[in-house]
Amino acid sequence: MNHIITQKITAILLITLLVFTSFSCYKEEFPGRPTVALVVKTLNNPFFNDMQAGAEDMARELEINLIVQAAEREVDVEQQVQIVENLIQRRVDAIMLTPSGSREVVPVISNANRNNIPIINLDTKVDAELLASDNAFIATFIGSDNFEGGYMAGKFVGEQLNGIGEVAILEGIPGHETADSRQQGFLSGISEYPGIEIVTSQTANWERNLGYNVFENILQSYNNVQAVFAASDLMALGAIEAISASGRGPNDILVVGFDAHSEAVDAIRRGVMHATVAQNPYEIGRAGVEYAYKVLNGEEIPKNINVEIKLITQENVDE
Amino acid sequence: MKQFFNNQNLDQMRQFGTFFGLIALCLLFTILSPYFLTTSNLLNVAQQSSIIAVISVGMTFVIITAGIDLSVGSVLAFSGVVMASVLHAGLPIPIGILVGLGVGFSCGLLNGLLVSYGKIPPFIATLGMMSIARGAGLWFTDGRPISGFDDSFRYLASGEIFYIPVPVIIMIIVYVIAHLILTKTKMGRYTYAIGGNEKAAVLSGINIKFYLNIIYGIAGLLSALGAVMLTARLNSAQPIAGIMYELDAIAATVIGGTSLFGGKGTVIGTLIGALIIGVLRNGLNLLGVSSFIQQIVIGSVIIGAILLDTNLKMRKN
Repeated sequence: MNHIITQKITAILLITLLVFTSFSCYKEEFPGRPTVALVVKTLNNPFFNDMQAGAEDMARELEINLIVQAAEREVDVEQQVQIVENLIQRRVDAIMLTPSGSREVVPVISNANRNNIPIINLDTKVDAELLASDNAFIATFIGSDNFEGGYMAGKFVGEQLNGIGEVAILEGIPGHETADSRQQGFLSGISEYPGIEIVTSQTANWERNLGYNVFENILQSYNNVQAVFAASDLMALGAIEAISASGRGPNDILVVGFDAHSEAVDAIRRGVMHATVAQNPYEIGRAGVEYAYKVLNGEEIPKNINVEIKLITQENVDE
Repeated sequence: MKQFFNNQNLDQMRQFGTFFGLIALCLLFTILSPYFLTTSNLLNVAQQSSIIAVISVGMTFVIITAGIDLSVGSVLAFSGVVMASVLHAGLPIPIGILVGLGVGFSCGLLNGLLVSYGKIPPFIATLGMMSIARGAGLWFTDGRPISGFDDSFRYLASGEIFYIPVPVIIMIIVYVIAHLILTKTKMGRYTYAIGGNEKAAVLSGINIKFYLNIIYGIAGLLSALGAVMLTARLNSAQPIAGIMYELDAIAATVIGGTSLFGGKGTVIGTLIGALIIGVLRNGLNLLGVSSFIQQIVIGSVIIGAILLDTNLKMRKN
């Protein structure tokens, strides 16, 4: 019977050892140098992979150690909170965080504050009101202004339609800071063209197939829609498929997305999509490590660092 | 020694095996990371495991009856947002919690009714509930989280009694009660009887419909208790909370030695199972291992535990 226990222990040990040997490439590259952590929403999204690459490059330049972690599922803010708690236990010197939920991470940020670990907030803003009510604070926010990106998209649609026409919006998940800012920015940009009417604004949950389904329905009910703004490229790509399924083409409906997803950039190059707002996740990752390092050296840093944002259109797509 | 390790002790042996697995894992992480074996980290792991551990108790009861409950994560989200809206309406905290627990119990009871009177296989009934409760939560909140609660409510997550975090205390209380119910009461014996041989249970006069309703109701109630703990912890109730928690709960239950064919299992085993998952995630985070690898490891541990079960069965025969 003893060998059942042994078997069990061996099984677990073997599995774990297997993993660690395969990951023995993970080392403290710069012993005695600071260790900073980057916690992103998910690692199976090119946006965050670019951010990771930027952070890694800068960490190498500054010769500091970097740990990158993410929850298994993008929406699982509880697991992201657990990761941050574990990094606090691990006594990393600073944590860069793109919150999966802008409000839900506030308690763990005040936990980091108590442990004197600076939090550098990247890409998605932590809810300022809840931060204040918990007396919690972040060292700085580094990201592109989603509102400004939406505003640029709104102006573009207004110009392209010569200030008149019907427009639809595909929203992100309601209540997400990113989704709300992009939409508000777009509405603000388009409001400069009073001849344009927003006929419908519906959520497609950031998803491509929902983008398809929702826009298909929109095309059924609003026959004269001349432009669609999708708060993410995935939803825009779904909308493009719905447009071609309805027998219409790129000359009938203007499609503007957000994120500069590689497929969307390709679609712009092929002429089936018209514009997307490009953030620069690589630069956000680089700046994150750079400013984390400055904080650790006791330097004063601005509370808000804007990383440039631009509109990619068919004219400038090849630049 | 040979006398002691006879066949009847096989189940206990299984539990010891899981327990030693947990200890071995802890030893391994202690060797690999200087940050693992500290009081604050161990309490951290216990706290992180507490929500899944509480939900897994209900799952254990259900699986012992040879059922399954896929709706626990969605029921958690739904009861969480209902409770949060009651709290935001300014009603006293105990009322809010009771309403939340009531919603969870009702969803669970509905599962039970579908299984017992509707004769729908548990997999299908709870799959339906999984979608219904998720949709209900999203509809109820328009998809938005409800955030910001009084400190006295958040004490349920952030408080400590004699240095022990409150969620850990809640978890321990739930396990003590569940253990006593399973081992010392009529209801416990009936739970095993229903899963062991349902026909025999009916013939021996057990009102299995009644007990199935109660058991699924308890699973829903404990999901709602998980919602209370999670909402207090994040200071927010999200309609998208708890996605795939059913899989973590099933994993904890199965690693803990409960058979998916019903009739056997213990809550102590489940607690160890939940802690094994918690320790794995924590240790791999401390070592900076990627989340992709963590999924591979957890999957391997589940398969390892089941392989062991199959081996035990073969030896028994």
